[in-house]
Amino acid sequence: MPDDLNALSNDAFRTRWRDWLEANYPQEWRVPIIHRLMGDDERRWHRMTYDAGWRAPAWPKEYGGLGLSLEKQLIMHQEMERHQCARVLDSGALLLAPVLMKYGTQAQRDRYLAPILRGDELWCQGYSEPNSGSDLASLRTTAVQEGDQFVINGQKIWTTLAAYADHIFVLTRTNKDVKKQAGISFLLAPMDAPGLTVRPIMNLADEDELCEVFFDNVRVPAENLVGRLNEGWTVAKALLGDERIANGAPTLSRQAFEVLEQLVEGVGLDDDLGATDRVASLFCDIQDLGALHSQVADAAIRGEVDNAVLGLMKVLATDLFQRVSDELLRAAGEDAGLQRAVGIGGVETDLRKIYMIARPSTIYAGANEVQRNIVATMLMGAVGK
Amino acid sequence: MGWRTDDELQQMLRDSAVHYFGSAGGPDHFRKVRASTAGFDPAAWKQMGELGWTGILLPEAAGGSEMGLQCALTLAEEIGRSIAPEPFVASAVIAATVLAASDTPAAGALSQSLVAGTRSVTLAWQEQRNTIGLPAFATRFEGNRLSGVKRFVPAWHADSALLVAGTDGAANILAVLDPAAAGITVRPARLTDGTFGAEIAFDEVVIDDHAIILRGSDADEALSLAIARGTIALSAQLEGLASALWNRTVDYMRQRAQFGSNLSDFQALRHRMVDLYSEIELAGASWRRAASALDEGRYWDIALHAAKARSSQVAQDMGRWAIQYHGAFGYTDEADVGLYVHTAIRWSSWLGNAVSHRRKALEAHRRERGIHA
Repeated sequence: MPDDLNALSNDAFRTRWRDWLEANYPQEWRVPIIHRLMGDDERRWHRMTYDAGWRAPAWPKEYGGLGLSLEKQLIMHQEMERHQCARVLDSGALLLAPVLMKYGTQAQRDRYLAPILRGDELWCQGYSEPNSGSDLASLRTTAVQEGDQFVINGQKIWTTLAAYADHIFVLTRTNKDVKKQAGISFLLAPMDAPGLTVRPIMNLADEDELCEVFFDNVRVPAENLVGRLNEGWTVAKALLGDERIANGAPTLSRQAFEVLEQLVEGVGLDDDLGATDRVASLFCDIQDLGALHSQVADAAIRGEVDNAVLGLMKVLATDLFQRVSDELLRAAGEDAGLQRAVGIGGVETDLRKIYMIARPSTIYAGANEVQRNIVATMLMGAVGK
Repeated sequence: MGWRTDDELQQMLRDSAVHYFGSAGGPDHFRKVRASTAGFDPAAWKQMGELGWTGILLPEAAGGSEMGLQCALTLAEEIGRSIAPEPFVASAVIAATVLAASDTPAAGALSQSLVAGTRSVTLAWQEQRNTIGLPAFATRFEGNRLSGVKRFVPAWHADSALLVAGTDGAANILAVLDPAAAGITVRPARLTDGTFGAEIAFDEVVIDDHAIILRGSDADEALSLAIARGTIALSAQLEGLASALWNRTVDYMRQRAQFGSNLSDFQALRHRMVDLYSEIELAGASWRRAASALDEGRYWDIALHAAKARSSQVAQDMGRWAIQYHGAFGYTDEADVGLYVHTAIRWSSWLGNAVSHRRKALEAHRRERGIHA
C-alpha cells in the first residue's frame, strides 16, 4: 500500500497514479470506447488495483477503501481517460457497496464487501423488467416471505453482465396493495441459486453484455434483505461520491472526437466548409461541457451539489456522444457501411461499433426523457401544481 | 446560483446591481432609451459612474475602482439580465482597458470623465465585417494626419469621446480624437438594442502629438486585451440575458392556461425549457472558463471563442422559444419579450457571432494540435 494518498498534493497524487497506470495497465485493454472489461478481465483489474492500493477510491477507509477526497477521485478518472483505459462497470463497488454501507447489516458488510474489493465476486443489478423500464417502480417480480426465506418469482431484463456475475441485487415487489414505490424490497441472491437462469441478449454492437434473468421459485435466506421490508425504493437510491459527477464528463465524446479528427483529415474533409462547421460545433460542445463539468465538480468539492445540473450533464454528455458518433459515419462516406475497421487516416476502428455503443447511453441510467422530467420538476415545479 | 459562486466582493456588487437595475433598469428603461434621439441616457450613465461601475477596470490613480475582470463580469451578467443599453462593454470594458494602459495626460483626462460617468468613450478599431481578434489596420497615421474608415463603432452618440486605432506602417497607434474635428464624417445607424453604431471616416484629420496615447507593442497589447475582455464581458451579458428571459418565459407559462392546463405543465414545452436551461448552464461555465484563461494571460484562447459562440447561440435560441411560448402576445411590441430578443440580436452579432467563433475555436485547437500548422 502507498502511504496516505490523501496527504499527497494533487499533483503528486496525479503523477503517482499516472505512473502506476503507465507501468501496469495492460496494453491490450487500451481501446477506449470500444473495450469494456468483463468477467476475468474485470476480476483481474480489481485485484491489480487492490494489491497495489488503488482499489475503491470513494469507499471510506473503515470498509477498506481509500477514502479519497472527491477531488482526488476525479483526478483518477481524468488520468484513466488520458491513458485510454477501457470502460469498467464495477457494479459491486459502485452500486451495491454504497447501499450496504448505508442500509446493510454488519453481517452483510462482512460477507460481501471484502470479496468486492478483491475482485473475487462480481455483481449485477437486477432492476429493469420487460414492462418496467423508465417507470421502474411499476416492477412486478415478486418476493414472498416463507419462514426464514424469500421466494422470488419473475423476470429482470437489460441486466448488464449478468452472465459473468456471481451475485445479483434485485428489486422485488413485496406488497401489491400500496403506492407502487412503497411495496418494493431490496434483496441479494447468488447467481447459482436453483431456479435462477440467465439468457444473454445480443445487442446492436454485437455484444452479449445485456441479459434476461429469470426467477423461478428462487429461494434466498431472509437475511439477504437489505434495509427494511418494503423500503427498497429508498435503499436503491444510495450512491457514493464521484459517480454521478464522473458520469457527466464528456469522456466518451472526447475519445470519439479524436477518432473523428483523424478520420476527417484522412478523408481530406478538413477544408470542407460544411464538415468544418459541424466539427467546430461538436468541438465547442465538448469544450463547454468540459467547462461545465469541471466547474460543477469544483462546486461539489466545496460541498455545493447542484442536483439539477448533475441530471442535465448526463443528458448533455450522452446526447453529445451520439452526435459525435453520427458525424463519424457522415465523415466516412461510403465506408460508413463497412462492418470492420475503416483503415482511413490510421483509424483502425469499426465506426459502426462506436455508433452503436453510443446508442443506449441515452436510454440507460434514467432515459434522457425521464431525466428531463425530473429536472423540469426541479426547475419548473411538478405538473399540475 | 447552483454551482456558480461569487466571492464576497462579487456578491456585494451583484446585490447592488440587482438593487439598482430593479428600480432603474429593465424593460421600461430600455424603452426609454430606444425612444430617445441619442440612444443613450446620460443620467443613467452618470449614476453608474457614481456607483463605481464605469471605472470598474480603471486604476485607483485615475479615480477608478479597479475591481478587476471577475467583478466586471458579475456586473455584465446583471446588465444582461436587465437588458441595460448602457455602453458598459464598449466603454467601461473595452475603452477603459485601452485608457488604463496609457500614462499620458490625454488618457488620464478621459479616464477621469469616464470614471465620473460624465462621458462615455468608444474605441473605433474594426474595419471589416466579421473581424475577430486584433486585425492589421488599413487606417493610417501619416505625419500628423489620420485617414481611413472605421466600421461597426459601438455606443455612438453625439457626446461620445472617441479613441481610434491605426498604424503608421510600422507600428500600431492609439489616439484620442475630437469627433467634431475637421475631416471626420460620422454615419450613425440605430441598432436593435436601441443604441447607435457608426461608420466613421477620417480624411486627413490632424492629430495633435498629445492625442497619441499608446504606440507599438503597448498599443497591440492593450488592444488585444481590450477586445478579448469585451468579448468575454459581452458573453456574460448574453448569458445573463438568456437566463432572465428563461425565467420570464417560465413565469408566463405558469400563468397562461390552454386546454385546461398551464403551459408550464405540457411535457413538450417542459423538455424544451430544460434543454434551453442546459444551454444557459453551458454558457455560464464557458465564459467563466474564458475569464480564467484570460486571467492566466491567454487572451484569445479556445475558451474565449467557445464562450462567445455559446452565449450568442443560446441568447438567440432562448429568444426564439420565448416568443413561441408567449404565443401571439410574444409577437407584440407591448410584450417585453421582444426587447430581450432585439437586444440578443445586437449583442450576439457584435464582436463575432456564434458560427464565426466556433470556427475560430476549431482553428485554434487545430493550431495547438499541429494540424494545418
